[in-house]
Amino acid sequence: MKIRGVFIEDTFAEAFTMRVARIVITARSNRWVRAAALKLTGFATSVIGCKVEAGIERELSARETPDGRPGTSILLMTMGKDDLAKRLVERIGQTVLTCPTTACFDGLPDATDRVGVGSALRFFGDGFQMSKVIAGVRYWRIPVMEGEFLVQEKFGTLKGVGGGNFLILARSADAALGAAEAAADAMAAQPGTILPFPGGVVRSGSKVGSRRIKSMIASTNDAYCPTLRAVTKSALPDSVNSVLEIVVNGVDAPSIASSMRAGIHAACHDGVVAISAGNYGGKLGPHHFHLRQIMAGA
Amino acid sequence: MSGGLVARLRTPLRQRADLSEVLAGSWTALSAAELARRPVHLERDGAAPLGEIFELNGEPEGRMRFVGDLELIDRLAAGLNEGEVTVEGSLGSEAGLALAGGTLDIQGDAGPRAGAAPLGFKRGMTGGELIVRGAAGAEAGAGMRRGLVVVAGRAGDRAGLGMIAGNVVVFGSAGADAGLWSKRGSVVALGAITPPPTYSYACTYQPVHLRLLLTRLGGRYGLPVRPRHLNGFYRRYSGDMAELGKGEILAWTAK
Repeated sequence: MKIRGVFIEDTFAEAFTMRVARIVITARSNRWVRAAALKLTGFATSVIGCKVEAGIERELSARETPDGRPGTSILLMTMGKDDLAKRLVERIGQTVLTCPTTACFDGLPDATDRVGVGSALRFFGDGFQMSKVIAGVRYWRIPVMEGEFLVQEKFGTLKGVGGGNFLILARSADAALGAAEAAADAMAAQPGTILPFPGGVVRSGSKVGSRRIKSMIASTNDAYCPTLRAVTKSALPDSVNSVLEIVVNGVDAPSIASSMRAGIHAACHDGVVAISAGNYGGKLGPHHFHLRQIMAGA
Repeated sequence: MSGGLVARLRTPLRQRADLSEVLAGSWTALSAAELARRPVHLERDGAAPLGEIFELNGEPEGRMRFVGDLELIDRLAAGLNEGEVTVEGSLGSEAGLALAGGTLDIQGDAGPRAGAAPLGFKRGMTGGELIVRGAAGAEAGAGMRRGLVVVAGRAGDRAGLGMIAGNVVVFGSAGADAGLWSKRGSVVALGAITPPPTYSYACTYQPVHLRLLLTRLGGRYGLPVRPRHLNGFYRRYSGDMAELGKGEILAWTAK
């Protein structure tokens, strides 16, 4: 299969089941929405090193938020429910509670699995906090120097999917970067998904384990490193001099497939040799996104 | 769901009627015939079945609407814990007494002690929503532990008396001593209010939770919530300092 002259390899991305929460942050202005959102989603590229994967799903207009102020929707994902509760409390407590004018709401109101967030953060109020039940939902009003921080007591969680991916194999670093930027832009608009890495792009794709250090969980994916072509079992065609990876997480598999389709389509342009994907032979992750099947649905 | 059960007064009342047993306990799954047998206590004539006082049409299926001149009716929806009850007109005293759940929507005025605790009891409402679209008499929401009382018009003296928690929202002016002796809970005043002397001014700010609460009142009940209420500032008073002092009066201010 080729798209605009770019070869689509007959392979698949292997992804994992993760726990996901959707956080809605509102504030008095977009400036402070963005300030909180960037901090909340900072250092959250991979559970391997960050314990959590997070990203901005989309901006919300005032008409779309619970309190009628500008907002943003964020997906935060971990490997387990208990871990998700801890990370939510840590991150909202350190980055949203601290940010001027913000409030924080659950973005998965229909999820039956729920974890306590406001119920833990309320203790910051040192006994001065107040709860309010509005339309059957409990909120905590935590007094802060600026005024009050409003946070929902419980947040819903779902089983989501993490680790959808594809690799852009290009003739040059410039071509790879241009294609990756185009892909990330196209995928940013896809509902129900996030791109947890910087700018949505990964330059340091990894393989499981290490050749030399047994305790390492992951190490560089040498088969896709152009500089190692001569010293390792390379997976790269001769004309490839740079590879970038796009990683996408989402609330479900169809959302990821849709996002991958948009991203691959956008990435296929001059200078790109092939699109591939990362997998572990299909034995580790239950979600397999076959590139050709996905693109056949375009 | 159908339009619910309609209870229309057969003839104008000439004596006060206590309807405290009509909607107590479970009622939404009952048939109209079963509800018609529930007792109404007339001030002079004693007990009579609801069906003798009201003509009932339809089936409840979660909703009931009272129609007629109902100002002599007391304690309607006392202890209500489910369903939606609408009153087309004004009610007498103690409407929604100790409400526990569901909704009582009074399209006219409510007499004294709407949504209050029964006399002799400290704890009043434990849930539900009581909407008074007209004025309310004294001591609306007295002793409330949980839930919501909204008065779209003027509230009489001592609204939210001895509140333990919950919300009393007054769109019109609030009478004297709102929130007196409250332990916790909020009195939200969108009109004029003079906090009791046992409340202390804290600050003027924009409480975000009121945006949620007021937006809901406008959306669900069509109450006259204005942008100034959502975007405006509120003076916060803490009290009652003669009690626990964890309650508050949030008074909208044009400043």
